[in-house]
Amino acid sequence: MLDIDGVSKRFGDRQALDGVTFSVRPGELFGFVGGNGAGKTTTMRIVLGVLAADAGEVRWNGKPVDAELRRRIGYMPEERGLYPKMKVGSQLRYLARLHGLSAAQARASIEHWTERLGIAARTGDEVQKLSLGNQQRVQLCAALAHDPEVLVLDEPFSGLDPTAVEVMSGVLREKADAGVPVIFSSHQLELVERLCDRIGIIATGRMVATGSVEELRARDGSTVVDVHGPPSGWAETTTGVDVLESNGTRTRIKLADGTDDQDVLRAALAAGPVHEFRRWRPPLTELYRDVVQDAHTEEAPA
Amino acid sequence: MSTAVRSGPISANQAVLLVARREFVSQVRSRSFVIGLVITLALFAGGALLGGFLASQSSSKSLGIVAAAAPLRAGIEEAARTQGLDLQITEVDEATGRADVQGDRRSALLVGTAGSYELVGRDTVDSGLEAIVATAVQQQALRTALASAGVDPAQLAAGSQVATTTTEPVDPHRGEQLVLAIVGTILLFISFSGYGQLVATGVVEEKQSRVVELLLATIKPWQLLGGKILGLGAVGLLQLVILGAIGVVGASLTGMLTVPGAAFGMFVMVIVWYLLGFFLFAALYAAIGSTVSRQEELNSVIAPMIFVIIIPFILTLNLLPNDPRNQVATVLSYVPFFSQTVMPARYALGVASVWEVVVSAVLALIAIAVVVRLAGRVYRNSILRTGARVSLRDALRGS
Repeated sequence: MLDIDGVSKRFGDRQALDGVTFSVRPGELFGFVGGNGAGKTTTMRIVLGVLAADAGEVRWNGKPVDAELRRRIGYMPEERGLYPKMKVGSQLRYLARLHGLSAAQARASIEHWTERLGIAARTGDEVQKLSLGNQQRVQLCAALAHDPEVLVLDEPFSGLDPTAVEVMSGVLREKADAGVPVIFSSHQLELVERLCDRIGIIATGRMVATGSVEELRARDGSTVVDVHGPPSGWAETTTGVDVLESNGTRTRIKLADGTDDQDVLRAALAAGPVHEFRRWRPPLTELYRDVVQDAHTEEAPA
Repeated sequence: MSTAVRSGPISANQAVLLVARREFVSQVRSRSFVIGLVITLALFAGGALLGGFLASQSSSKSLGIVAAAAPLRAGIEEAARTQGLDLQITEVDEATGRADVQGDRRSALLVGTAGSYELVGRDTVDSGLEAIVATAVQQQALRTALASAGVDPAQLAAGSQVATTTTEPVDPHRGEQLVLAIVGTILLFISFSGYGQLVATGVVEEKQSRVVELLLATIKPWQLLGGKILGLGAVGLLQLVILGAIGVVGASLTGMLTVPGAAFGMFVMVIVWYLLGFFLFAALYAAIGSTVSRQEELNSVIAPMIFVIIIPFILTLNLLPNDPRNQVATVLSYVPFFSQTVMPARYALGVASVWEVVVSAVLALIAIAVVVRLAGRVYRNSILRTGARVSLRDALRGS
């Protein structure tokens, strides 16, 4: 288990991180979302020891992460980092060897991963001659080559075409299934929702929510239902119901606490034929918006 | 785990060596290394050829002399001998002589008689030749005047002589020593400025491409910096050894060099001082390079380094050739940041003994220890700070 425990970091007079705490379990894909400047990259840099935290601790299996453990993390920095004039193959071998692989291990591993990521034919080319998408595959290859125990990827999906997104998702899922905790940041919330086991939302340096999408949905506690069929007007007169949206035969209602959804269904049926009566599950984009909004309103009076 | 690879622990030495090897290999394989080597070789070979050509030009002259001026011949021969000029004198008639001068077959032609001598050249008269003929003419005039005054010229000459002698035997190889000193000084200058600059460029390349973030997630800043300096230093050393070996062997084979022992001693000295100077400058170059984020900003911040390297170079070339025991140079040859250039030149000129070199080297090592510590601090504190330039004071104080 990777524990980020009470990590704080200040840059000048700006509090970049304020007691950030969350855990990523082995075999779990953890999506790290938040606005620009919210603290995602700073958190990841602290996990990798590239930045030192002012307070707090990062632990892997209960032990503080030290230089030796960090070497066994696979890292993909936000600003891609490769020598532009170095050949892909020798560059990847060099990085793998810095992570402690022998020359032979490095060669075998690079062969495996460049094949898997579809860049095997480009190993003899200079990095700067590759397209940005392919450079990103090289970067992922660099993060994977030493068979890391933990994967920390900053925006691995940005700038990838749909095929590359599929390849990248497949690889991350595969690593997670093999028992590696995988944490990645992204602004593509649909992708995060589809891919991740759990999600952490960070706003202005503080974790405002963590959990599975289901758990984030349950956070609100209310039940929202989409009803299709009866002409509008029926819901306004039903007790325990709040109309959120109404558009012809489509009505979105919010049930007050303790309201029996069967009673509401009966009221709808009384108003006309019901073709659809379905609990509405807000997508992550909406959950994210609510959570971040809440965070800002909480902060405003302070 | 899906695959059987498992990263083992990596020691600090291994990390430094891996970094150094990458720097060395990618530099030696680069086109600029080979081109730089060829250009430097061409410059030195060109310099040697030019020097040889000039020397051969000045050593041999031919003078035509008309019958009327013939009494001056013995005096001119005497003067040429004392001046060390190889002069061939031929008696010709004026017309042939003038044609020879016009056709560059003869350096000059002497016409006229006592009191109206005239030296004829094509578009100019060689100043050395002119001086010799003038001396002969003066001697002749003086002798005539003395004879008419009743003084014996031979007696006067014997009574007005100054002899010179030296307390130490005159070093017959001074000229070659001087060439060795100058060549060594230039080689050191090229290596310090070229490879120091490479260190700064390399640091900024890593910072600009952000690869440094990936590297520092697995190795420590000092390991990265140490490996880079060692690797590039080794490339500079390789270039120096290649140039030095070609130079010494080439000069010996062509007969330009008659003191191979001294040349070899200087070769060793240049390598030792290259290493001492390189670590000093490379650490500074790395520290300064780490404070900027883009190559475009680098030139303005490393400009002061050029002065630090060029000042001892200029002082050496100006002070030592005419005055190997110059006191300023002697003092500077012990001062770090000057010693790496001044001391090897003094050694080449034979005015510094081995113990002086050792004392100076120890002082340089102390300076390296201090500078490397400070530079490492600046590097560590600035290498991950991108954006605006990091001020040296901030970098020294810590993040």
